[in-house]
Amino acid sequence: MPESVFVDIDMYQITKRGQNICGDAFITRKIAEEQRAIAVLSDGLGSGVKASILANMTASMAMKFVAGNMEFLHSAEIMMEALPICQVRKISYATFTIVDCRASGEAHIIEMGNPGCLCMRGSRPLELESRLMESPRWEKRTMRFSRLHTRPGDRIIFFSDGITQAGMGTDAFKLGWRREGCRDFIAGALASSPHMSSRKLAREIVGEALRKEPATVAGDDMSCGVFYFRHPRALVLLTGPPFDRGSDRRFVDMLRDARGRKVVCGGTTAGIVARELGVLIETPLPRARTDIPPVSRVAGVDLATEGILTLTRAAQYLEQGRPADHSNAAADLVELFLESDIIHFVVGTRINEAHQDPTLPVDLEIRRNIVKRIAALLEHRYLKEVRIQYI
Amino acid sequence: MKKVTVRVCSGTTCFVMGASNLQMLHEYVPEELRDWVDIQGAHCLELCRDRNYGAAPYITIDDEIVAEADLSLILERIEQRVRG
Repeated sequence: MPESVFVDIDMYQITKRGQNICGDAFITRKIAEEQRAIAVLSDGLGSGVKASILANMTASMAMKFVAGNMEFLHSAEIMMEALPICQVRKISYATFTIVDCRASGEAHIIEMGNPGCLCMRGSRPLELESRLMESPRWEKRTMRFSRLHTRPGDRIIFFSDGITQAGMGTDAFKLGWRREGCRDFIAGALASSPHMSSRKLAREIVGEALRKEPATVAGDDMSCGVFYFRHPRALVLLTGPPFDRGSDRRFVDMLRDARGRKVVCGGTTAGIVARELGVLIETPLPRARTDIPPVSRVAGVDLATEGILTLTRAAQYLEQGRPADHSNAAADLVELFLESDIIHFVVGTRINEAHQDPTLPVDLEIRRNIVKRIAALLEHRYLKEVRIQYI
Repeated sequence: MKKVTVRVCSGTTCFVMGASNLQMLHEYVPEELRDWVDIQGAHCLELCRDRNYGAAPYITIDDEIVAEADLSLILERIEQRVRG
């Protein structure tokens, strides 16, 4: 990953029908000091709680061993010995796919039991150099080690067998969708949308697999993870008026001169931006009642919202997930966050005294705190690069 | 009868102090006045910081600022202004 390349990592999964917990585990970690990103997908034997425990144990152990640069064949043996034995099948079993990328662009992939991952250069599938290794202590536990020198525009896509076996037994897909079917679908999707984000691609793949299933009901847990090596998509967000009024110009210049998406959160903030840019703010009345203020339109800005209430709601969505039926300013904001790689918050620190009025019926969070909360979530849970600047 | 423009603030303070209940204001304007009232949203009227205008929520009717604006007060003022 040279300076100008960002790894956009995301996943999507759905749970087997009738289970309320997914038996596939997906863990990611970025190690900033080594400029390294690692993801592990593990599919636990069976489904439901038992599978979830097996998968999470496997994924957590694999992540620790890989991040700690342990010799992996030996690590895999330790993992297999540590896993509980299934009472029904008398085997301990959870599969894994590990993707480990470093700043040099070198990606290492270790797979056991999962369908083989797909590497795409644009919309073209790449052949991987692989070697197979077997554990002398565990039969039929072949691990595949692969390497790829990535370039911007490359993707590594990996999934659980719920994806490749989707539709198995139906007339159209007797043997399931298979890795080849999945590969052709991905090639088609990327040919028509070459810059598709990892989040969207993972959803498209899982959605297509689900359509192969009889009555579009998931017969198995289905998970898909995507690494996309791309030039980063930047977003700058201005919120809060600058402490010193003399800094308004400099504040707005940071928005105007930024590349990428531009967001303004706050009433006074939008007023300053509109004044300095010499444009008007338009606020259409919402068509239905909303519980947070509506979005406004400001020329030169991709999204303009109210401040504290919208940011607080966005933090909740980032923490707990967004209800699918909610369309509001906070949902729009979260969508922009998730479709960006590098997010720059410019936070004005002047306090609006009206917000401190003890007779307000709700507590208004201090702007700096809410921005810090959002930044931490974006950085640690969503693996974004985040910068906060106070003015 | 005179046409008036109403702007409803949707800034933080106004929204929590009651402007959230004014989003559907147009539905409450009496039928016979509807053609005479243009209701618009406002990102923020920036009135709460000054404390010179009374308390939030604020709306404006043309150049008049109405503080502590609730439905009945707004409808009363609209009627007065439209009927002149």
